[in-house]
Amino acid sequence: MNFLNLDARVFIYIGMFGSGKTELAINTAVELKKSAEHVALLDIDVISPYFRSRDQKNALEEKGIKVISPPGALSHADLPIITGQVGGYISNKEYLTVADVGGNEDGATVLGSLKPFLDPVRKKTFFVVNALRPFSTSFNEVVRNVKKISQSGRIKIDYLVNNTNISSETNVEDVERGEKIIAKVSEYLEIPVAFSVAKDGLDFSGKFQVFKLKRYLKNLW
Amino acid sequence: MKMLFKGSEAIAEAAVRSGCRLYFGYPITPQSELTEYMSRRLPEVDGTFLQAESEVATVNMMYGASCTGKRVMTSTSSPGFSLMMEGVSYMAGAELPAVFINVVRGGPGLGDIQPAQSDYFQATKGGGHGDYRMIVLAPHTIQEAVDLMNLAFDLADKYRMLVTILADGMLGQMMEPVEFPKMRDPNDVPKKDWALTGASDHDPRKVTSFDIDPYELEKMNLRYQATYKKVEENEVRYEEFNTEEADIIVVAYGTMARIVKTTIHMAEREGIKVGLFRPITLWPFPYKRLNELSDTVENVLTVEMSYGQMLEDVKLGVNGKANTPFFGRSAGVVPTPTEVLDAVKKAMGR
Repeated sequence: MNFLNLDARVFIYIGMFGSGKTELAINTAVELKKSAEHVALLDIDVISPYFRSRDQKNALEEKGIKVISPPGALSHADLPIITGQVGGYISNKEYLTVADVGGNEDGATVLGSLKPFLDPVRKKTFFVVNALRPFSTSFNEVVRNVKKISQSGRIKIDYLVNNTNISSETNVEDVERGEKIIAKVSEYLEIPVAFSVAKDGLDFSGKFQVFKLKRYLKNLW
Repeated sequence: MKMLFKGSEAIAEAAVRSGCRLYFGYPITPQSELTEYMSRRLPEVDGTFLQAESEVATVNMMYGASCTGKRVMTSTSSPGFSLMMEGVSYMAGAELPAVFINVVRGGPGLGDIQPAQSDYFQATKGGGHGDYRMIVLAPHTIQEAVDLMNLAFDLADKYRMLVTILADGMLGQMMEPVEFPKMRDPNDVPKKDWALTGASDHDPRKVTSFDIDPYELEKMNLRYQATYKKVEENEVRYEEFNTEEADIIVVAYGTMARIVKTTIHMAEREGIKVGLFRPITLWPFPYKRLNELSDTVENVLTVEMSYGQMLEDVKLGVNGKANTPFFGRSAGVVPTPTEVLDAVKKAMGR
């Protein structure tokens, strides 16, 4: 997946809770770092208490990716903290910046508050869909989610992403199932599909480009 | 069809499939997703979701709703469960069936929002006042949590008892592929000849934990004790993994058991055969089988995400037949497989 062709400096992932935004944001930052000197990852997820980008802060900073998250012990707090640096890294022209936004309407609300920073920059917003997650399994549900979250975030969605998976057990049929639903949504809402996600090791090719995903948020065991 | 669910969401869906249509609760991390899921899902199936003003209110709403004989549940995390304890005792005394989910976080007090297992005593040894027991089930995967929900409601109905699913924050928050059982008809549950359904076609009934006459109250207590004895005889559940000819047996439940399973593979590479004994019912605790297993090893190591709570039950089970070393971390710190392996080696004097 070549993100540099997209004419954007800021890449924003939004979607339903648990749709895979964090893994995608991390993978995107890692991908961008291959060709860009300065890459920042904004953890502006105010919804999830565990499994957040900030948990990978050390690993990502070793790769030279700047991770912006609540400082010190506050990173464990279930408080909606957005640090002042976030606006700075959205505006900073030297950086390619990836934003990992919290799930559902409540998570997307954060983008509304960042609107003064986001409006002037070249950006692309990706709406992530896992059609094997609850309340996202049908055309109607996905359309509803896209509309609701776009409204709450006061942001236009540029691309849909098919991230249909059931974690380690995902097979080709699962990804295809997502493609079918998302293709229909894409046609109806007139939002193009950027890519389908396939986990590392899954041999998949379908209607859309494929973005191979490496898993960073692993269980302890 | 398998889907990807968070533990909290999966428990909620499984409860709906088990015929539960009444949920009362108050959100608290790390299980607010369960409450949120119910708020969205229950109206779809003509159920009632009610966000109470507090956990104290929640448990008393459950008391009232359970009196009607319908399946009722709540979910909370540690501090919230503490707030419910008065009502828990009242419900136990009134022999009301209900299901509680406690997604345990670091304590005591406000603690933090990370996973822990330090509510073991509270769940298995009381928590509220009086001589009562709750059945306590401890899943170690999200699929198992789903599979145990039907059992939880069935046991609650069968024995007129409270059932607690004791999960930890990790199980509440992690995501795994799951498959759900078919939707059960909420009316197709055992008939309850004690439920308060209006006395137009039968004599008036009474649901209470009160009797002013101590001899009558003692009779009620003896009835509870007889029920608990039956449960101890019939409902003990556990899993054994790799225990045959093991060099050491590790006792662990929930997320801790997942970690031990990884330790087992690591130990194998070092030529140590580690067996896992995993209680699924924390009450009634599988004392008998653990006692039998204690004949086969020198060491029975307990590992917990708390500081030696289940250890007391392990000691009762082992009853002096083997050493009972312990390793635990708490307050939201989850031991790694390597730390458990070190504890195994230390216990074996390696």
